[in-house]
Amino acid sequence: MQLHLLNRSPQSTAVYRDLGEAFGADDQLLLIEDACYAALPAASGVIEAFGGRVSVLEEDLVSRGLAGRVSPAITVVDMKGFLALTETHERCVSWF
Amino acid sequence: MLNYALLVHAAPYSHQAALSALRFADAIVTGGHRLAAVFFYHDGVHNASALMSPPQDEIHLAEGWKRLHEDHGTQLLVCIAAGLRRGLLNTDEANRHGLASHNVEAPFELTGIGQLVDAMLNNDRLITFAP
Repeated sequence: MQLHLLNRSPQSTAVYRDLGEAFGADDQLLLIEDACYAALPAASGVIEAFGGRVSVLEEDLVSRGLAGRVSPAITVVDMKGFLALTETHERCVSWF
Repeated sequence: MLNYALLVHAAPYSHQAALSALRFADAIVTGGHRLAAVFFYHDGVHNASALMSPPQDEIHLAEGWKRLHEDHGTQLLVCIAAGLRRGLLNTDEANRHGLASHNVEAPFELTGIGQLVDAMLNNDRLITFAP
């Protein structure tokens, strides 16, 4: 059970493809920085591969003017929520 | 309580990752955990520059890292090989290389990659922030 941290926009297709191949059945994905754009409904095709186990960092959404525009399937977490995800997942892999 | 270490690959102000790392570091200590060490690697070594002088109304990243050391005892470890290549030196290294000045000062420490391995092995979590 791993937490995956992703900071690239959905335009970085190779990173999303590689992450999709490494993503385990119990894994969780947190979108940060420019990966926030993958939380928009328009990018739902990119996120489908992660089976609803996707969160996005609220602070980075707000700084990009994307708050309130997130797909309903994605959970919005703040920094405390980010910390909580690292508490419950023993391993954290960063994709960049 | 968990012991955390952070690995920062990103230069300050050129990508969000260094700021993300500092914000997460604050969340760690605010959340009741211990942030044992931050290891600055690749372009991340620029976070250690004592000459960093951002505008006063902007976040001062180097001061933010130093505050973590002062308030929480966090070790600030700078990869010496990455630092030397990029002109990040303390007084010892400046003298060794015959250079007139230095820009890495305590609490930042120039260290080897072994310290990163040590941080990985001896803490519960290692979180990487990269550009």
